[in-house]
Amino acid sequence: MKQSAIVQIRKMNKNFGPTVALKDVDLDFYPGEIRGLVGENGSGKSTVTSIMAGMQKPTSGSMFYNGAEWKPESMAYAQRKGISMILQEANTISGCTVAENIFAGDIASFSKFGIVNTKAMNKAAQQRLDAFGLTRIKAADVIDKYNFEDRKLIEVVRCVVEETRVFVVDETTTALSVDGRKILYDIIHRLAEQGKSVVFISHDMDEILEQCTSLTVLRDGSIIGTIEKEELKGAATDSEKEKLIEKIRFMMVGREIGNAYYRSDYDVSHSDEVALEFDNVSVGPVKNFSLKLHKGEILGFGGLSDCGMRLIGRAGFGLEKLSGGKVVRNGKVINNSITAIKSGIGYISKNRDTEALILSADIAENISLPSYSRLSKFTFINPFTKAKMVNKEVDNYKIKCKTPRQAVNTLSGGNKQKVSFAKWTAKDSDVLIMDCPTRGVDIGVKQAMYGIIADMKKSGKAIILISEELSELIGMADKIIVMKDYAISSEFMRSPDLKETDIIGTMI
Amino acid sequence: MGQEAIIKKTGNGQNGFWGLVKSHIFDIFSVLGLILCVVIFTITSNGNLWNAYNISILIETVCGYMILSLGALFVYSMGFMDVSVGVQLGVYSILMIFILNSTGSMLLAFVTVLVLALLCGAFNGAVAVWLGLPSIVTSLFLMFVFGGIQYILIERTGSNMISVENYDISKFADSKIMILAMVAVGIVVFYAFNFTKLGKYTKSIGANEKTTAQCGVNTTLWKVIAYMMFGVCVAIAAVFLLARTGSAGKGTGSTYAMDIMLCIILGGMPLSGGMSSKVRCAVIGTLTYVLLSNGLTLSGVDIQTIHIIKAVIFLAIVLLTCRDKGKILPR
Repeated sequence: MKQSAIVQIRKMNKNFGPTVALKDVDLDFYPGEIRGLVGENGSGKSTVTSIMAGMQKPTSGSMFYNGAEWKPESMAYAQRKGISMILQEANTISGCTVAENIFAGDIASFSKFGIVNTKAMNKAAQQRLDAFGLTRIKAADVIDKYNFEDRKLIEVVRCVVEETRVFVVDETTTALSVDGRKILYDIIHRLAEQGKSVVFISHDMDEILEQCTSLTVLRDGSIIGTIEKEELKGAATDSEKEKLIEKIRFMMVGREIGNAYYRSDYDVSHSDEVALEFDNVSVGPVKNFSLKLHKGEILGFGGLSDCGMRLIGRAGFGLEKLSGGKVVRNGKVINNSITAIKSGIGYISKNRDTEALILSADIAENISLPSYSRLSKFTFINPFTKAKMVNKEVDNYKIKCKTPRQAVNTLSGGNKQKVSFAKWTAKDSDVLIMDCPTRGVDIGVKQAMYGIIADMKKSGKAIILISEELSELIGMADKIIVMKDYAISSEFMRSPDLKETDIIGTMI
Repeated sequence: MGQEAIIKKTGNGQNGFWGLVKSHIFDIFSVLGLILCVVIFTITSNGNLWNAYNISILIETVCGYMILSLGALFVYSMGFMDVSVGVQLGVYSILMIFILNSTGSMLLAFVTVLVLALLCGAFNGAVAVWLGLPSIVTSLFLMFVFGGIQYILIERTGSNMISVENYDISKFADSKIMILAMVAVGIVVFYAFNFTKLGKYTKSIGANEKTTAQCGVNTTLWKVIAYMMFGVCVAIAAVFLLARTGSAGKGTGSTYAMDIMLCIILGGMPLSGGMSSKVRCAVIGTLTYVLLSNGLTLSGVDIQTIHIIKAVIFLAIVLLTCRDKGKILPR
């Protein structure tokens, strides 16, 4: 027997200028459930939840919370009343302590006559952290000591309070590694068991199927359908799951995605020619790391986020100072990004918006930036040659834009990522190091990315694919290198029989 | 997704006339500002703005500012600034007078000043990077050093002011030569800024230095080159500034560093630099600034009030252009 809904959304519409973000959305959230919200970028899932959490106001429509009309005036108000939301982007205050972050906005309750009782506040914060199993995070530390992932978890601690009745997780897991995710999963399951309602937004289909108790699909601002608990839990075997995922994808995209999602071949052959060699490399906590990447090979790197794989990627592009050994390509030592690019290496940073792209610059500028040295003839950069090169890439990647003179920050996430791919193909790089290239990208674009990566292999490019999604590594890599505690813990060759569980065992 | 929809709405991917207006709002404001200055001061000065004498004054004033602003473009587009330019100009003027008076060689005087200006440029660009300091700090250092040098040099002469004596510097004050110099510098800067790596890289350093470095750009080298480019312009401007007065003293040049900043932002360029930096910002800004100073004076406004008016305009423009909290002022 279903309980009555804790939140009801009725006929909600939201327009951003001429853009319709939500169309007559009716949605109910129930106590004790973990409701997955899926849909492509721009389908409206964040819009509807952010309205519920007080971030913005609807154009029309009504909401009811615990039976009463719900008109939150701000996020802080919504949180006090029991609806909190955690966002994709970082939202902590740097320079302050963990405790100050957790009690931001509530510091008054620890102060007397204007003096804050730091000790009491730290103690209370530590208790909160401990209750979430985050004993390794110390409340008195300055927050900058912690990495992005820990800061995200600290945000969770800040958001989930006693009053919380509805908790919205908006694509937070893309920022988290496997262990970070586990902590978050524990939290949401605990909340659900306590009879609270969790709304879970994610692009990761496996994660959604595993964590959620029901699932609602949105497309172009409308609800397409809901998959209830019975159907979700009914898909027990792998093939049933595949079928269910296929069905959900169809609902999301409105057309058949087909089987060609990942690479379909199991051809792991590659040239014997070494494209990039890590020779006894020591970088940070990684010691004596040796590896050869060959022409036409896709090497996948998997592991927990702090396992050292990201460092190896950066070292391969000369971004890290090595304490020993060397990275070599064609007999040349790679010691900074300048030598790396000169010898034909490209790098796609995980931090797309801050490192891989110049958001305020146009598409053409972003694509050409690494290639200016080649375009420049006697100091002159011919705008026509440049435009020709850029147009070729825009066509090749089918970047959705009116003109290449359009600023990159007007593009959707997937198209932005296409631009960061395009700048290295324009440069004609032979080695590509990709750090989580499909992070936060919807499935239609993901499919296109995988196609591009597979084509790159065919044309003899050497690729390092660092990823936190095991299914992606299994689907794309010739060889998967699993790292644990800053060293290689196991290697798997591409095979149709390879399962995620085989790999997870060697990661933790 | 909400955020993306918002970006789509406000970004310059917008359709139609208003989209175009919105994405060029600062350009429009700066041109309107210039037109407004022309119209208002033509009226308030009773047409004196356009008499032959004042036009030659305008050209003389514009020349120095224009060459300086055009050079400063490379530094400001990186989101940096150089506060030492004013005192540098003072010292260069004094040195040129010394050399001209003792040797009579303009070439020697210019080359000396050019070498010094290039060294200062390299210092501003490189030392800031090596020591991990914001460039404004190294330029502050230079400002104090040059301020001291200027003072000592003048003190040693035993007077408050020295003049060019053995050389006819006034030939550089000819309107035709000045226009020629401005146009020549303008063409070189326009080319370097739009069609060479220097301009592309300074803009992208201003917009996102990390990304630029990850695209294989030696950002330290290009910072140095950009500052040195400014140095060349400072040296050229020093010649024309000296030509106007033929003399230099303790206070010579001191206000120029800030005046250039004002010129550039009046032209519609954000102080944070980046992709919206354009040569026309320096050109329009300089014309507006000079017209503003000259026009207010002609209209009988006293000098103190002019300073206050400049300050108000500066504040208003900074508030308008630097709304992005992350990028308030140059580094």
